[in-house]
Amino acid sequence: MLVVASCVLAAFMALCAEGLIQAFQSSAAEVQRDKMQALVYALLGAAEAGEGGTLSLLGSALPDPRLSRVDSGLSALIFNDRGNVVWRSRSFTGDVPDIGSEVPGQSAFTEVAGHFTLSYGVRWAAESNGLHLFSSPPKPRRYTVMIMEDDAAYQAKLEAFRHTLWIGFGSSAAVLLLVQLLVLNWGLSPLRKLTQELRRVETGDQARILGSYPTELTPLADGLNAMLQNERSQQTRYRNALGDLAHSLKTPLAVLRGVLDSNPLEPPLRTQFEEPLRRVQDIAEYQLKRAGTVGRRTLSEPVAPRPIVEKTLAALAKVYADKGIQFANEVPPALRLRVDSGDMFELFGNLSDNAAKWCKKRVRIAASVNRRELLIEVEDDGPGFPEHAENLLERGVRADSRTPGQGIGLATVADIVASNEGRIELGRSATLGGGKVSLRWPV
Amino acid sequence: MRALVIEDDPQLRAQVAQFLADAGYAVDTAADGEEGQYMAVEYPLDIAIVDLGLPKTSGLAVIRAVRKAQRKYPILILTARDGWQTKVEGLEAGADDYLVKPFHREELLARARALVRRSGGWTHSRLESGPVILDTAAKSVTLAGEPVELTAFEYRVLEYLLMHAGEVVSKTELSEHLYTEDEERDSNVIEVFIRRLRSKLDPESSLNPITTLRGSGYRWDLPRN
Repeated sequence: MLVVASCVLAAFMALCAEGLIQAFQSSAAEVQRDKMQALVYALLGAAEAGEGGTLSLLGSALPDPRLSRVDSGLSALIFNDRGNVVWRSRSFTGDVPDIGSEVPGQSAFTEVAGHFTLSYGVRWAAESNGLHLFSSPPKPRRYTVMIMEDDAAYQAKLEAFRHTLWIGFGSSAAVLLLVQLLVLNWGLSPLRKLTQELRRVETGDQARILGSYPTELTPLADGLNAMLQNERSQQTRYRNALGDLAHSLKTPLAVLRGVLDSNPLEPPLRTQFEEPLRRVQDIAEYQLKRAGTVGRRTLSEPVAPRPIVEKTLAALAKVYADKGIQFANEVPPALRLRVDSGDMFELFGNLSDNAAKWCKKRVRIAASVNRRELLIEVEDDGPGFPEHAENLLERGVRADSRTPGQGIGLATVADIVASNEGRIELGRSATLGGGKVSLRWPV
Repeated sequence: MRALVIEDDPQLRAQVAQFLADAGYAVDTAADGEEGQYMAVEYPLDIAIVDLGLPKTSGLAVIRAVRKAQRKYPILILTARDGWQTKVEGLEAGADDYLVKPFHREELLARARALVRRSGGWTHSRLESGPVILDTAAKSVTLAGEPVELTAFEYRVLEYLLMHAGEVVSKTELSEHLYTEDEERDSNVIEVFIRRLRSKLDPESSLNPITTLRGSGYRWDLPRN
């Protein structure tokens, strides 16, 4: 915007200057022509026509003294109708230009090769004196008067004008540009501030637009905040609705499960109930979790993962109190992630629960950002993952059917990671010797 | 052992209560958070099983109220919202474990058993004290390796005493933890059960596992192994 405004201003100034120079040039040329025309008349007034078409001019009668000075820059020639020079001023040097005779009363004005040239056609009869009383009146003859003037003075004047003009225009353009720059800068600074705030919201350094803005921008800032707020509360509502759905779906499922558990059924009949019940249960669980996964959102609130890991580990320490697990939370306190907090709970909950389930004594959770890539590692000192463990990342496949829910947990994590454009890897922990889950995604 | 079930779904509530009663618990039930919270704070409980999605007062609020009232018995959460955030919030509020709906009866009973045992300071499901071993999972008692035949009620008295081994347990406390609010209590019956337990566990009167403290109650006096 600034560049465009500056360019337009500069172009406008340049065009103005060029136009002024053109106008000045043509008016200066006009003045020159008038001056030369006047000189032609003066010259004609001083000329005397002689016999046989000759003309004579007395040196003292010359209208301009420069005509009698060699190299004065001003010279005059008079041609007769046959193109021969009948008079030349003393100041004339060089070759006689070859010109056609002008129509009487007409003049031609040119500027060629550093000279202004004005040729003027005239019809003139020699004046009769008393001696030729009876002779027929002399025939009028046609002459062409040509005045040449060096244009150095004119050029110098023009140059001076151009110089002054450019300096004037240049400096005023510079001042104008500077003023414009300042005004634009001042006018755009709230917008720039808003952009910065929005970027901070995006990178997760702040939750909403905080600064105060001029009245013109307040509605915009308010609108942005409302949008952020709306998006987040929408998410909460959606999650609550899903929770309600889960509740109303799973309570009857639990009743069915209970009926099945408390009534002795013969194996074939039991399987006929068990199978579909488990399938409904798995599908409901997985799909509800999946629907609850928010995934990547540009303007979602930044969340610090460390407290979430802290809470999750404290909760798991209760659940696995008998194992007396040593949990190590090595997530940096300053780390902020643009991942929905519900997703983050799912992520750390499932991974650390899995690790706690399989570990002997130790579980370690670490996170780090390296070259714009986030790495989360969850390790334990258990037996590690079985072969073809990648299958665990697909929905609902279980590593060990005696530990229900594990497959779904890992599949949920894989979904969250995928929706954040990340990668998940199952491997072996170098430090603890058990299983290790590594999550990576760009930040 | 006395358990409270707070669950709004009548079928599930009845079912869970039945599971627990079958396993030897004295079970009280509440259908909403308000009633549940009153019972949870006021009743002498050994465990509470709380659904998180309750009408009137949420399960989370009930748990917080219980802990605020300095009640320390274990709480097992039942939840259909199996999001980790919910689980973590529940455990943070003061619950001790969670169970996601739907669940198996055995899973529920195992969790409840483990919680009660843990709150009694036992780390293993077999409570071993001197020559007496009580297996909470199998509900069996052995004396020096020999099985001891106990009635359901005798077992419950023994379990309670063993859980609180070394502590003085009054007759009122015993009857409060073995009967629900609706059942008629007679503390004289307790004396009868104590006498029977003594004769079954210490036929020669050489072990003296249960000491009577006049005016205050009983104490299991064998050391925890």
